[in-house]
Amino acid sequence: MKRCIRPDRPCAHLALWLLLWLAAPAWAAAPVSGTLGATGSDTMASLVLRWGEALTARHPGINVQFQAGGSSIAPSALVAGTTRLAPMSRPMSPEEREQFQRRYGYAPVELRVARDALVVVVHRHNPLKALTLSTLDAIFSTTRACGAPAPVSRWEELLPTGDWPYGRIALHGRNLASGTHDLFRQRALCGGHFRDDISEYPGSAAVVAAVGESPRAMGYTGYHHLTPMVQPLGLIDAAGETIMPTPETIQNGEYPLSRYLYLYVNVAPGEALPPAERAFIELIMSEQGQRIVRAAGFVPLPADELEPLS
Amino acid sequence: MKRLDRRRWPGDALWTWLCAGCVALSLFMLITLLTLLVARGLGHFWPAPLEALTLHSGEQVIGQPVREAPLPHGAGSERLYFTGNRELNGADWRWVALDDIAAVNEPEDAIRLERSPWGDVTGRLAALEVEGERLTGAPARARLQSLLALPAGQRPRGELVLTTAQGSPLVQPLATITAFQAPNALSTLEKAGVWGQGVWRFLSEGPRAANTGGGVWPAIFGTLLMVIVMSVIVTPFGVLAAIYLNEIAHQNRLTRLVRIGVRNLAGVPSIVYGVFGLGVFVYGIGGSIDTWFFDEALPSPTFGTGGLLWASLTLALLTLPVVIVATEEGLARIPDAQREGALALGATRLEMLTRVVLPMATPAMLTGVILAVARAAGEVAPLMLVGVAKLAPQMPLDGEFPYLHLERKFMHLGYHLFDTAFHGDDVEAAIPLVYATALLLVLIVLVLNLTAIFLRHHLRRQQGGSWSRS
Amino acid sequence: MTRPALPARTPWRQLQDRIATGLITAAGIGVLLAILAIGVFLFWETLPLLTRFETLSLERLSPLAWGTLKAAIAALVVALPLALGGAIYSALFMSERLRARIKPILELMEAVPGVVVGFVAGLVLAPWVERHLASALALVVWLPLCAVLAGLLWHATPARLRGWLPLGRAGLWLLPWMAAMAVLALWAAPMIEQRWLGDDLVTLLDRRFGLDYTTRNTLIVGLAMGFAVIPGVYSLAEDALHDVPRSLMEGAQALGASRWQALWKVALPMAGPGIFSAAMIGAGRAVGETMIVLMASSNAALISLSPFEGLRSFSAAIAIELPEAPPGGLTYHLLILAALVLFLFTFLVNTLAETVRQRLRRRYRSGGGR
Repeated sequence: MKRCIRPDRPCAHLALWLLLWLAAPAWAAAPVSGTLGATGSDTMASLVLRWGEALTARHPGINVQFQAGGSSIAPSALVAGTTRLAPMSRPMSPEEREQFQRRYGYAPVELRVARDALVVVVHRHNPLKALTLSTLDAIFSTTRACGAPAPVSRWEELLPTGDWPYGRIALHGRNLASGTHDLFRQRALCGGHFRDDISEYPGSAAVVAAVGESPRAMGYTGYHHLTPMVQPLGLIDAAGETIMPTPETIQNGEYPLSRYLYLYVNVAPGEALPPAERAFIELIMSEQGQRIVRAAGFVPLPADELEPLS
Repeated sequence: MKRLDRRRWPGDALWTWLCAGCVALSLFMLITLLTLLVARGLGHFWPAPLEALTLHSGEQVIGQPVREAPLPHGAGSERLYFTGNRELNGADWRWVALDDIAAVNEPEDAIRLERSPWGDVTGRLAALEVEGERLTGAPARARLQSLLALPAGQRPRGELVLTTAQGSPLVQPLATITAFQAPNALSTLEKAGVWGQGVWRFLSEGPRAANTGGGVWPAIFGTLLMVIVMSVIVTPFGVLAAIYLNEIAHQNRLTRLVRIGVRNLAGVPSIVYGVFGLGVFVYGIGGSIDTWFFDEALPSPTFGTGGLLWASLTLALLTLPVVIVATEEGLARIPDAQREGALALGATRLEMLTRVVLPMATPAMLTGVILAVARAAGEVAPLMLVGVAKLAPQMPLDGEFPYLHLERKFMHLGYHLFDTAFHGDDVEAAIPLVYATALLLVLIVLVLNLTAIFLRHHLRRQQGGSWSRS
Repeated sequence: MTRPALPARTPWRQLQDRIATGLITAAGIGVLLAILAIGVFLFWETLPLLTRFETLSLERLSPLAWGTLKAAIAALVVALPLALGGAIYSALFMSERLRARIKPILELMEAVPGVVVGFVAGLVLAPWVERHLASALALVVWLPLCAVLAGLLWHATPARLRGWLPLGRAGLWLLPWMAAMAVLALWAAPMIEQRWLGDDLVTLLDRRFGLDYTTRNTLIVGLAMGFAVIPGVYSLAEDALHDVPRSLMEGAQALGASRWQALWKVALPMAGPGIFSAAMIGAGRAVGETMIVLMASSNAALISLSPFEGLRSFSAAIAIELPEAPPGGLTYHLLILAALVLFLFTFLVNTLAETVRQRLRRRYRSGGGR
């Protein structure tokens, strides 16, 4: 007998999803159409695009447009009314929430749609395997708010025994507009300030490409951007234990830099969402949607957090 | 003679040769760039062999070699393989140190499948089970080829059984497969066929897997449509402004100043036009249109966000100087005697313009418009501010009333290139496509420019031959 | 009377003419106003900054201003020698037939979109240069030397052989020579690096001089943007040199000057303003180029002199930060101020160049020489 070799999913599920996949055209019979615009996090771009592809496969009448630029674009686009759906890789700040409230008189609806993590990456042959959070802060910040005694700027300070890599740690990160930049500042820098000689890239893929090419480099990026060009560093917690970023540690929140990914929706209380938007959210919260989350390289929500659309 | 040269050598010839070297070096840079784009952009579609490796550790790997890189400490080098099977290995790629490889062979039954949504699979084709039949080997490949030619909805239910590198079976339903490749079983001629198909699919299909696979057709279409809408806007206005400046306005100090101003606008950075487009068209005019006419749709914006119309308008403004300058050049070449002759025969100024001057200036106008189109097609920076989208699978032109949707966002080749290179989630997979996109963009722009050059050349020869200007 | 004898200018035709003239005038003035509106809009949107002028904004803008300047200077350092050298050669030494072919090709370089140049520079050239810094620097020194070496060899060869490789076509046949020399340098440089320096140059810079090396640095930006600026400067400078009346050059040569002396003493002073305006236009292009700087630089807002460190320019900052800046906020106005600075700078530089060029043209027209 042949065996289904999806280690994480029994055969029955596979069959069920195959069935649903084949049944997709039947759903499309209900003519849901319209334009669905979303503006926001480029970390989530690949995810939103894949959801969009699946949604268009389900409902050929729906037109998905996505403008990626960074999570900070999302609230201003929501407030300015240039979009109705705003995927963000960080929660809205109180000020952004208040701005929205002032403009519309109600709060935006916040949906948690997936889990993700920030990973610190180095060149694939780098002998460094793990860092403590305070050393990480000492490397990336000028403020050292997490309590490191002195700044760390050279590889010799991290790897006293090795002679490779040698020299200054070349730091790579994201641009100011991205949620990744913001979250890393909050979580890894304890709210401090970045050094000003960090190379800033307008996309996470560029960070990975840059780190993968240079042995002296260290950077931070989203979990789903990991490629074999780079190796993720484990983080050492207070108890001295190394936690590697894996789907399990990210899903249960053990990995310190893990986070939720959000979708903010501008909908007045009591008002029904347009059908296209509704279908989109239904898709995300379905098991197919969460399967896409995994295919896109993110981590699905824990099963008990899949909230049905109300 | 020889002595003379020696005497002059130090001051004279040294600089001459350096100058000649400058030309050679510039050409060298251009040729290197183009060769790189052509080689990497087109080479990507050539089916690379699928190698089955046996490592010294006994592990088996099946994959397509991509590139090599040196290992640290001078310990030889390593090779990157595309292995696929992300749900099993956690990654699509694998670095293998050359010293670790015990044996390499290229089995004929090794295949690579494209599927959705999981990405590609590699493995050895064990069997194809369809409509109760079980096929293996070459017949299975042939049958699979014919089945995949059918649209996904019309395919019979069936499964493909692969053996992965690790030796375990992998069952793949036919409906999820989009393409397949068995490069080791192909002859060179067949590979060329596959290559042609690959190029065609790249040009004619939409992007897949979050822009890291598939083609660029929507981007080509978006670029073309944007450029067409732009030329529809820019041609009349540019030509009218040129006619005004050259034929109607009094030629005084002010006109000269205006002319210098217009010329200089061609040198203003494109990003500045983008800022203007965002502030005035999108936020200003677009926002107002929304509050006046599309109130019911708010807060979903209609025109108050970047879109085809605003992008075309912004680029029209950006290219206006090009059209004005080129048209004026053409108008200035027409001898005054022609105008005076027409007027003397009793034509009004309008008739003189439409019947005599404009027909003679048409090639110049055309040159201007083509140059404008070439500039607009390659411009990305302003579009990032006024309405280009990462993915807009629905074209701005479709069968739905009013057919042309000016408010929709669109995809653009140049932005697509930037986006896949910087934002895509698998850089390794995206880079070959980026090369191909870059090549395509360069070709489009070069062809447009060459057309303009030939047109202008033709025009100069024609006019230089028939009239002489005092 | 003569009037009735002419084909009748009926009132209708007269009216048509008036209307059309009116329309053209309106459209023409409208277009000119629309163009003017850019300046007005930028001014208008920066006005709010005056009311809340903070020193903070200067602090935020000055690294960008420095970055813009640094990138432009780097680009000009690469582009000016190449473009002017190329212009001198093709205007004065190249055979006329070859010139008619080579010039359009070099001008086509300008058509290569910035996003393509930026991609190649940022994702291909920058990592390569980081791994092979010594080879890259060796190439920069070696290739000009090769041109001179080719000249030396050429002068040493008997005149019979020289006929096969005339100076007038040297721009072309130097190409394979240079390619071969480049390959030679790439092969030899790593060995020389190991033998004489004992280590890789990037590490050495750090050990000996404490110099930082960023992958996407000013050197890369300079090379990439230089590539983009060369054709514009070349084309204008070449025009200026080629327009110098032949009679003057021939006169100088008849009086015993060598070709190069005639160039140096006659052609260059004549074409000087044209070359100056070409350089100005190049500077304008370098200051405003967006995609190349965005993709090939590290975008770190630093103020440093080192060519191996990154930079961030106005245009790149606008491109990545403006879409997220809420309209009306401080960042929005600051970025518009940056756009205004770019606008004013390029406008001034181009006006200067254009005025100089027009004056030059008048000078040539009035008989060629003072």
